[in-house]
Amino acid sequence: MARLTSEQFIHAVVDPYARFLLAEELGDLGPDRRRAAATFAVHRVTTMPSVMRFGATAIAAVFRLLLAVPVGGPAIVRWLAHHPLPVLGEYPRLIRSLTFAYVWETWPTTTATGGS
Amino acid sequence: MARAVLDTEVLVIGSGAGGAPTGALLAEAGFDVLIAEEGPWVRQGDVIPFSLDQMERQYRSGGVTVALGLPSIAYTEGRCAGGGTEVNSALYRRPPAEVVERWASLWNIRDLDPDDLALIADEVEKELSIGMVPGDRGAASERLALGAAKLGWRHEEIPRWMLYPPGATHRQGKRQSMTETYLPRATAAGARIITECRISRIERNRTGAVSARAVRTTEAGEQPVEIRFRHLFVCAGAIQTPALLQRSGWRRNIGGALAVHPTVKLAARFADAVNCPDDVPVHQVKEFTPGLSFGGSASNPGLMALSLADNWPGFGHAISDWGRMSVYYAAITSEGRGRVQALPGVRDPLVTYRLTARDRALLGSGMARLAMLMLEAGATDVFPSMRGGSVVRNRRDVGELSRSFSTSRAGVMTVHLCSTAPLGESDRCAVNSFGRVHGASNVYVNDASLLPDAPGVNPQGSVMALAIRNTRAFLQEHRPHA
Repeated sequence: MARLTSEQFIHAVVDPYARFLLAEELGDLGPDRRRAAATFAVHRVTTMPSVMRFGATAIAAVFRLLLAVPVGGPAIVRWLAHHPLPVLGEYPRLIRSLTFAYVWETWPTTTATGGS
Repeated sequence: MARAVLDTEVLVIGSGAGGAPTGALLAEAGFDVLIAEEGPWVRQGDVIPFSLDQMERQYRSGGVTVALGLPSIAYTEGRCAGGGTEVNSALYRRPPAEVVERWASLWNIRDLDPDDLALIADEVEKELSIGMVPGDRGAASERLALGAAKLGWRHEEIPRWMLYPPGATHRQGKRQSMTETYLPRATAAGARIITECRISRIERNRTGAVSARAVRTTEAGEQPVEIRFRHLFVCAGAIQTPALLQRSGWRRNIGGALAVHPTVKLAARFADAVNCPDDVPVHQVKEFTPGLSFGGSASNPGLMALSLADNWPGFGHAISDWGRMSVYYAAITSEGRGRVQALPGVRDPLVTYRLTARDRALLGSGMARLAMLMLEAGATDVFPSMRGGSVVRNRRDVGELSRSFSTSRAGVMTVHLCSTAPLGESDRCAVNSFGRVHGASNVYVNDASLLPDAPGVNPQGSVMALAIRNTRAFLQEHRPHA
C-alpha cells in the first residue's frame, strides 16, 4: 500500500470533517463552495506551525474516525462541535473559523445558512 | 543543489521594525550589510489589506498561529519584507516616557534615557511621515469616539505612518512601512536584501558566531546557503528570534518571558453603514490605561463572520448586515507571561502563554465596558465573540455579559508580541543594555524581543526607537572593515 505524505494525510482527515461541519451549519451552501472552503481549511492546517499541525492533525484523525462510525459517530461529532471542551473543542472552532472566513470573504452576500 | 556561500560584514536576520532601521544605519555608516528575510517582497497594492490573500502571502502560516494555554491565544506574525510593518494597523505611538523609565529602573538598563529615545522618535516620525488622517476618519472610528465622548471617557485619534495625497480620504493613504522607508535607505547605501531566505541555525565558535545556515527558496527549488559574517543582528521578531538563538545554543533567559497584549473582541451593529473592509478605525479609548484600552479591528465580511462564528446559531443571522457592522476590541496589559521553546528536530517553536487571574478579570471587565461603549455609540446589537454569548442590547444585558464572561469561552487573541530576550543588566535579562547576547562577542538582538515588557501601546515605535539607539551604540564601538 502506498504511504500517504503528511499533506495527503491531513487532507484525508480534515477535508471530510470540514465538509461535514459546513453541511451541518451552512446547509444551503452549494457543493462547489463547500468543497472550496474545505480545501482552504486543509491548506491552512497543512501550513500551520509544526506543533500546532501535529496536534490539529491528531484531533482531526479522531474526528475522522468518529465520522466513519455509522451508528452514533456523527452524533458525537455534532455534539463536540457545540461544546467548548478543552483541546478537543478547539478543533471544530478552528475549522469553523477558517471555513466561515473563507466563505464570506469570497462570497460576501452569502446568507447565514449558506445560501447565495 | 550545491551549497552557496555568501560573505558579509554584518548579517541582519529579519527586515521588520527592528531589522530595517538596523540595516539602514549600518549600511549608511559604511558597513557591508546583508539583510536576510524569510518571507517574500510584496509590493503595496498587490494585496488587499487584511484579506486572506494577504494572510497567505505576508503572514507566517497564513495567520494561523497560537500560543497554547487555557485559553490558547491566537496571534499573528508578519513574514515578508518589512515584517509586521507591512500588515499591521499602521497606528503609531512613541515609547511612553513613564514606560521607558520603568524599564530602565526595573531591568537596570544602562543609559536608557526617555529624552534620548524621544529624540530618536522625532527622527522616526519624520521618516515615516507620522500624521493624522485628513478629514473624515471613517464611520466605525467616529462611532468609537462618539461612544467614549458620551460616557466622558478619554479617547484620542492615534497618528499613523501614512502619506495621504491632497484630497485623499482615510482609505487612500500609502503606508510608510519598512519597504517604503528604511529598506530603500539600506539598499541605497549598498546593503543587499535577500528575501525568501530562512535562517535555520547560527554556527558558533568559542567567543561568538561565525556563520548562518540558511535555505533560500528560488524558482529552481531550495538552495542551501552559508552566510559568513563578522557581526550578527538577529531581528526576526519575538517568536523567531528566541527560537533561532535557542536552536543555536544560546539559552540564558532567552524565550522565557513572552509578553503580549491579550485582546477580546465583539461585533457591533448600527442603524447606518459603518463597515470599512480594508482599513481600521484610528480612534482608541484610553480612559482605563495602562491596564485596558479599546479600539477597532479589521472588519471585512470574512473577519466579521469569524467574529460571529463562536455563537453562529445565535449570531449568524447578523452576517447579512455586515455593511452596518464593525469589529472592536478590548486589549489589556497582561501580568501573565509566556514561553517560546525550540524543540529538537521540529522546525517551529512551541509557544505557550498563561493568563493570570487578574488578566482574566480584566478581560471580562474589558468586554463588558466595550459593550457598554458600543451601546452609547449607537449600536443596536452587540455580539461578543464568545461561545454561548448572548446579544447585548441594553445595560442589563451588559451586566449579564459581565457575569457570564469566561476566558475559556471567549476568543482571545493578540498582535503585539515582545520581551523574549529582554535587555538590561539584571539577572532576568537575556542581552546586555544594548542588545548584545550574553556569552557572545558579536551577536545582537534588535527587535521586539528586547522590550522588557509589553508597553501598553502599539509597540512599533518603541521597537524602532530601541533598535536605532542600539545600532548607534554599536557604531560607537565598531568601524567598518577597510
